[in-house]
Parts: sequence; structure tokens; C-alpha cells
Amino acid sequence: MKIRIVAHNTFGSFLHNKVLYAMGVLFLVFFLFGLFNVYSFKHMITASNALQMQQHMMHDIANSIVLLYGLGNLLAVWAAADSIASEIKSGTILAIMARPLHRWQFLTGKYLAVLMLMSIYAMTISGITYLLMSLGGQPFYIAGWALVFYPLVRYAIWAAIAMFLGTFLNPIVVMSIVAFLLSVIEFMSTPMAVNRIPAWIQMPLHLALPMSTFVLDESRFFNMTQAALQRYPWTNHLTALTYGMNYALVFFLLAIALFQRRSLTRD
Amino acid sequence: MNILMGFSYADSGEASVLGYRPGDLRAKERIGFLPENFAFYRHLDAEALLKFHLGLSGRKVDHPSVLIADLLATVKLESYRGLKVGKYSLGMMQRLGIAQALLGDPELLVLDEPTSGLDPAGRKDVRDLIMALKAEGKTIFLSSHLLSEVEHICDRAIIIDRGRLVRAGDMRELLADGDRVEIIVDRLSEALERAVKLRGASVHREANRIRILGETAQKRALAEMLWTGGSDVLSIAPIKTSLEDIFLKLVGVGDTE
Repeated sequence: MKIRIVAHNTFGSFLHNKVLYAMGVLFLVFFLFGLFNVYSFKHMITASNALQMQQHMMHDIANSIVLLYGLGNLLAVWAAADSIASEIKSGTILAIMARPLHRWQFLTGKYLAVLMLMSIYAMTISGITYLLMSLGGQPFYIAGWALVFYPLVRYAIWAAIAMFLGTFLNPIVVMSIVAFLLSVIEFMSTPMAVNRIPAWIQMPLHLALPMSTFVLDESRFFNMTQAALQRYPWTNHLTALTYGMNYALVFFLLAIALFQRRSLTRD
Repeated sequence: MNILMGFSYADSGEASVLGYRPGDLRAKERIGFLPENFAFYRHLDAEALLKFHLGLSGRKVDHPSVLIADLLATVKLESYRGLKVGKYSLGMMQRLGIAQALLGDPELLVLDEPTSGLDPAGRKDVRDLIMALKAEGKTIFLSSHLLSEVEHICDRAIIIDRGRLVRAGDMRELLADGDRVEIIVDRLSEALERAVKLRGASVHREANRIRILGETAQKRALAEMLWTGGSDVLSIAPIKTSLEDIFLKLVGVGDTE
């Protein structure tokens, strides 16, 4: 009950957070970029270049959607880190923690609020994906649940990492660390890294870095056919998602352990 | 205070609140707390904010809106119940802070600098409110740098300097300790002055009168000595010591924390 109250209130606070509004503007820009591409390519399609233009269109829509999903990572990180830091910085946490409320309950409420926000975000992008694809007249094979759950698990991981780092670091520093980690993960999936980095380094990095992408990642949503998706049995998806949630849980528990011992005052 | 509320951890020593470890939920259920330099969610109005805190307090109330309306009336904010907290003045915030502290119907009210940053009128409002709560039977645990406020409100006081307890006790005893008496006489012979000083009093010769400051306990003896010695006693008046005087005497001027 108390966790729900904290979660509900935190979610309400998100709707008044200026940084999140700024990210909302960025979201709109990426969406409009995708929309603009769809319409411009549609006007350029002729009988002779149809196949080529459709490939271009798919590529550009994919870029817009990947940008939106990437923005989601930053949104999850900021929401999680700032939801703790801003409470301590402003002093609102004192009146709350003077109530009969465990610290873990407070943190769980915060985390649930971030997950609520990110669920809405993932569903919105899922809707935008369908919209852009149907406006572009493209066939779309991917299952709706995959478009929502895979990103959501990834956001849950980043939010837990941000919450862990946010218990002792400034949110801007947390964002920087996460941006660095995201770059490393991105680099690790490039052919150059795969070919040049020895396996004994790759293996521990794959285990240590927050990757739930070994079955499905955003960049493959558009070239994944229904048949390809079905190649993986549901147990593979379940394992991938559970692996991701497990990763999130470990960081969330670490965040609770750290938060348990830290001072709640500004000094 | 932060340690008692479980916000910070002590490096050494022991503490208990209402018989429990600091930060224990069973103690917090019985405490209302007003932190120093606190803040509330600026986007909420007073009613929504108090509903949020009531939910966290765990107190079961049949009609939360009625309780909240009563509390807002107690702190004279009933006409601002729909106003966003971000638009509240400092004084209104302090009063809202007291209302949220009272939400759980606490036995113990812990108030950290409740009048800090307020103008004199705001200070009086908050002080009157605290006095009313005290009259209702609530235990008030008050931390303040405004010693006149502490003297006015509290029955017991402790003076802490740099984290060390300097003095503790009943307020009357603390103030009585330093009580002195002022005796004004028209003249004082040198022999009588020596005798007066032997009783621990000090003599201050002024243009047309002589002031003798002595311990209250010596009042009668000094007065009789002066009468029989030929001095005309013009007045005898008690000089009340303030908590501030005691504090400065114990801690020292310009050396406080």
C-alpha cells in the first residue's frame, strides 16, 4: 500500500519534471523525423525504383525508431537517478522518511514509478512503430508484445543501474556513466570488436554488461520476419527476458543495500 | 535530531526514541516530525499533500477529508487548501509542515527550528500554535537557536555545543540558577562596601545612586546589612536570567556552534 502511494506520487512528479519535458520534445523531434521520411519517400516511389525506395524508407524508419528506443534508455536513467537525488537535494525526503516507511519501500515505490513511466513509453513507441510502418505501406511481422517487453526489460536494467549509482552520485554523473556503458555495449556488437577482441575478454564483458539482446534487439525489429522470430521458441524469449530482469534485480538490491546506509540529509 | 529520526547514523554512542532504536517504524508511528529547511512537492496542493502523508502514516481514518480540513483550520490554512504548495510563503509552509506533523495524531512532536526564516508575526503564529499543542498534552521536542523561544515553550532544556552536552535540566532550575537581585541605595560607606562584597555581591557606583548586584539567596541578609549600616535602601528588584545569558556564560560569546 505504502509502496503504491510512493509510486503514484513519484509518477505524478515525473509529469512536472522539466528535464523529462525536454526529453519529450526530443521524442517529438525523432518521431517527426520518422514521419517526414515516410512521406518524402512515399512521394519519390515510382514503378522503377519501388524496391530500392522501400528499402531506404525501412532503413530511415528503423533509424528513427532506434533513436526513440535509445532515448528511452536515457529517460529511464534520468527518471531513476533524479527521483532519488531530487528528493534528497530538495529536502522532501525528510518529511516522507519521518513516516513509518522502510527505506526499501521508498526505493521500491520509486522504481515502480519509473517502470510505469517506461511501460507507457515502450507502448507509445510500439504504437509509433506500427503507425510509421502502416503509413509507409510496409508489411510488419514482429509481435506487439516483443516491441513492448524487450525494451521494457532493457529500461528496467538501466533504471536499476541508475538507481544504484544515483544513491551516491549526481544524476548527471550517472547519465555520463550510462552513456559510456551504452557506447561500450554498442561497440561490442560491431564486427570490428567481435573480430579483434579476444574471446577471453569478450566472454566476461558479455556476462558483465547489461545486455538482454542476444535473442532480439531493437535494430533487428525491422528485418526480423515472423519465421525468424518463430525460430526461437518461447522459452528462449523467456530466458532472455528473465536474464534481463535478473540483472535489473541484482542492481536494484544493491541500490537498496547502499540506500539503507546512506545519510538522507543534504550535508 | 537526524540521528533520532533515523536519517543519519551515529559514529558512536547509543540512542533510543520512545524505547526503540532510532528510525524504528514503531517509534515513527507515534512521532510527528517537522524537519529544518524541509520542502514539499510544489505541484501538489495542501489537501493532496496531506492525503499523501496520511497514506504513508498508516493511520486509518473514516473521513480523511474531514481530518485534513480540521488540521488546515488548526494551522489557519483552510482558505488555501486548493493552492499549490509552490505558491506558499515561508510562514505558510511552516504551518503546513506542522499540519503534516500532526497527521498521525502523534504523542511526540519533534520540531527542528520551526520558526527559522519567519518574520516576527509568522514566528508568533507558529509559537502560539506550538503552545496550543503543548496545552493539549502533546510532548514537544524542540530544537532552536532562538533561545527566547525555547525559554518560552519548553519545560526542560539541554544546551549542546559542538555535539557535546553542556547543560541539561528543568527550565525553572536552569533560570533560577543564575537569578540575581539588584539593590539600589543612596549611599554606601567603605566598610559596608567591603562587607557587601564579602557576601559575593558587586557594587556599581553611579551618578546619584549605588547599585548592588547579589545572589537572590543573599537578598535578605544584604538588605538587613545595608539598613543597619546606615544606607537607605531605595529599591530591591529581581534580575531574571535568560537562557541566552546562561548559554553565553556556558559556551562563550562568538564561539558557538
